[in-house]
Order: sequence, then C-alpha cells, then structure tokens
Amino acid sequence: MCVLCGEALTHIHWTDRRADERTTVSMFVGDDQQRSRMRDRLHLVRLANQILCHYGLQLHDWSGSKYILSDRKGNSALVQDLGSLWPTAEKLIHRPLDPLDPSLLETLITY
Amino acid sequence: MISETTKCPVTIVTGFLGSGKTTLLARVLAEPSMGNTAVLVNEFGKVGLDHHLLRQINERIILLGSGCACCTIRDDLVKTLLDLFAMDERRDIPQLERVIIETSGLADPAPILYTILADAVLQHHFCIDRIITTVDAINGHFHLDRHPESLKQVAVADNIIVTKTDVASWQEVDDLTARLHTLNPSAHIIKAAFGNVDTAMLFGASEIESVGKRLSDEQDANSLSTFRSKPLDEKRHIADVYSLSLTFHEPLDWRAFGLWLSMLLHARGEDVLRVKGLINVGERGPVVLNGVQHIIHPPQHLDRWPGEDHCSRIIFITRSIEPQAILNSLRVFQHVLGARPAMFEVNVHT
Repeated sequence: MCVLCGEALTHIHWTDRRADERTTVSMFVGDDQQRSRMRDRLHLVRLANQILCHYGLQLHDWSGSKYILSDRKGNSALVQDLGSLWPTAEKLIHRPLDPLDPSLLETLITY
Repeated sequence: MISETTKCPVTIVTGFLGSGKTTLLARVLAEPSMGNTAVLVNEFGKVGLDHHLLRQINERIILLGSGCACCTIRDDLVKTLLDLFAMDERRDIPQLERVIIETSGLADPAPILYTILADAVLQHHFCIDRIITTVDAINGHFHLDRHPESLKQVAVADNIIVTKTDVASWQEVDDLTARLHTLNPSAHIIKAAFGNVDTAMLFGASEIESVGKRLSDEQDANSLSTFRSKPLDEKRHIADVYSLSLTFHEPLDWRAFGLWLSMLLHARGEDVLRVKGLINVGERGPVVLNGVQHIIHPPQHLDRWPGEDHCSRIIFITRSIEPQAILNSLRVFQHVLGARPAMFEVNVHT
C-alpha cells in the first residue's frame, strides 16, 4: 500500500527486485535502507533522464515514493516504476520509445 | 514476503501435437519421488495418466487491455491453482511438492508464466521452476518449419526433450539437436525414447542453479560457433529467429540494464522470445535473469558464482530483430550501463 496515495500495490517490478526477496529496492519507506534506497532512486532518475531528454521528457523523484514524468508543455503523470514509465512516456509524446531507434542512439553518442 | 524457496515450484510441459508430452509425464509420474505432484492437463489424451492429483483445465483466456498475446491471464489456471493451494493448506491432500502443467500442443506457454507471476495471490505461493519442451525426432524439423507455435515452444524452453529417438536415425536426431541448440543455446537438450529420462536430473537441481552453471560453462559458450547459420530454405515460411549471445567483462549497472531492457521489452517485447542471463552486478554472486517476451521472472541472486569466470553472459532469442541492432544499442548505451559487450555469437535460424 502506498502511504501517500493509498494505492494498493500488488506487483513489484522485476527491476526493483535486484538481489533477492529480502531487499526490494524501492518499495519500503522509512527502514534502515532509506539512504541507499534514495541514492538508488536518484541514480535511476539521472540515468532515465539521459534517455528521456531525447523525447523532451523529464523524470523527477516524488517523496521517495513515486516518480513524476513531465513534458515541456506542462503535462505530467505519476509513474510507479519502470514497468509504467515507458507506457506513460508513450502516452505523453504519442509515439513509441525504442532503445534500438537510430535517432535516439545518435543523441546518446553525443554525450 | 514469502521467499522463492518456500513457494511451490511449477513445471510447464509443452510441445507440439503428438510430440510425446503425455508419454513423458506418464514415465516421470511413475517415479515414487513424484508422488506429491499435482498434474494439470488440458485434455485427457490417448495416453492415459493414472495419478491421484490429476486435474483438467480448459484454456479460458482473458485478454488484457494491452492486447499483447503473452500478457494474458489464464482464468482457468488461477482458479485451479487456488483450489489446489486451499486443499494443500487444509491438508485435504498430501503436502504439495510440485505442480506440473501440461499444455495443449498448440498452446503458447507465455500466458501461464504471466498468470502465475502477475496474480496477486498466486505470485506469493507458486513460482515457475522450468519449462520443458518435447520435440519429436521424426517430425521436429517439419513442425519447426511450418508452425510458429512449435518454434516459440522451443525458444522459451529451459529443457528440451528430443523424443522418439528409437524410431529416428542417429543422423536425424543429431541434425535436430544441432538445430535446437542453434535456436535456443541456453536450453539443456536431452534425448529420450519412450519418455525415459532421468527424473532426478530433470527435476533435481533448481533451474536457477542449472542455468547458472550452463551459462558460466566456457566450453558451452564456445560450442555455439559449431552451430552457425543454416542456409535459407525458400519453403520455410516462418520469420527469422536469431539467438544472440553477449558477454560483458566489466560489472553491469543493474539499474541501467533494467532501464534498457524494460524499454526494449516495452517496445519490442513480443519479438524478444527469450532472454536469459547471468549478470555480474558487482556483488559477491551473479543475478540470474530469465524472461519470456514481456514477462521477466523475479531476478534471483546467487550467493556465489558457479565457476571461475565472472563475466556477465546474456542470451537473447529474437524474432525479426536483427542482432546487430541490439548490439549497436548496447554499445551506445555502454557509458550508461558501465560495461561494453565484449564478444558475441549470432545464430540465425530461418
């Protein structure tokens, strides 16, 4: 259950189950792992933004619980995990995001 | 949260029509060690199965909003597994040690994986142990040439049993084995006549341990080059299937890899038939990655490496996605991932 929005979370995305069932990366708030969990979330945001900027999108962490995905027109949407990031991004830009897309790869090369 | 080790393992037995699934099951279930196994069959076929925990399921599929064929809920399966779980909890049946699901010959195993991994209750009490695919040594080539269902069943397999080897010539069996290895280099291929397989070997070690050992086996990796591209046969109608084997010498950033792979699966998931790998994320042991189309099993962390080689190895089996495109993408993403794909083998299956 998300403490902020009351949403029942029945599924943990596979990327949040890094090592084993004992250490889910982004689900538990306020435990001993809080500092490394926040570092991990901010690391993900930084990496994701390297890709999302090609599409004019930006991801922000929201209170260590959700992510907010925004475009340059002022639209924004809540994102729970990487499972919902890509479909949400696709809805905002109205076209698919593909890691094999040559124009994306060209943008990334310039970094 | 319930750990993977306390969940009841589910084995999926699939294979094309008449490929010997039920014969294999009848043989396996005769073993005393398989007594506390529940068997879910799609239909009662010609080969009679005599087992006290036998249930029939009808393939009732609920297509979800996305319309993706692999992300569908098998409503029948949810109900049957929940019933079994309730009976086990009430001690109405001997303690359940394993569930075997036999699919119909034309079934796609992916919705079964999705059902168990996505259902709010089932995901906490059952885990997918392995997919066993039977391939008929006599008709295997024909089915692979003509039926995309057969190709998919082989691509998603963890173990492939080549059946009817007693009536096929050794040359036919060897040719088929080579083709199956080209198509799915990560699968363990076993030859069997009359369903005679070593049950202890097939169900003994968990698939997680087995895949770790197989992927870390340097000799196995090198043997891929033995089965390079087959010549194109114009009579074949199935889209090209590629298997791509990648190695990373440096540890991978798990977050970055998750970002890349989740994006790839969102965009091209239906054409990524299989992804299987042993990933060095800079910790003491590797992470075992196992996925079928959009569905990724909960990644498992191993306490230690199965061998001396600590390189990440990932195998992709794709349909209609050029391996070079995946390689180019990973090379461009290398500064995000923290590692560069150092070596790769490509097999083209046409």
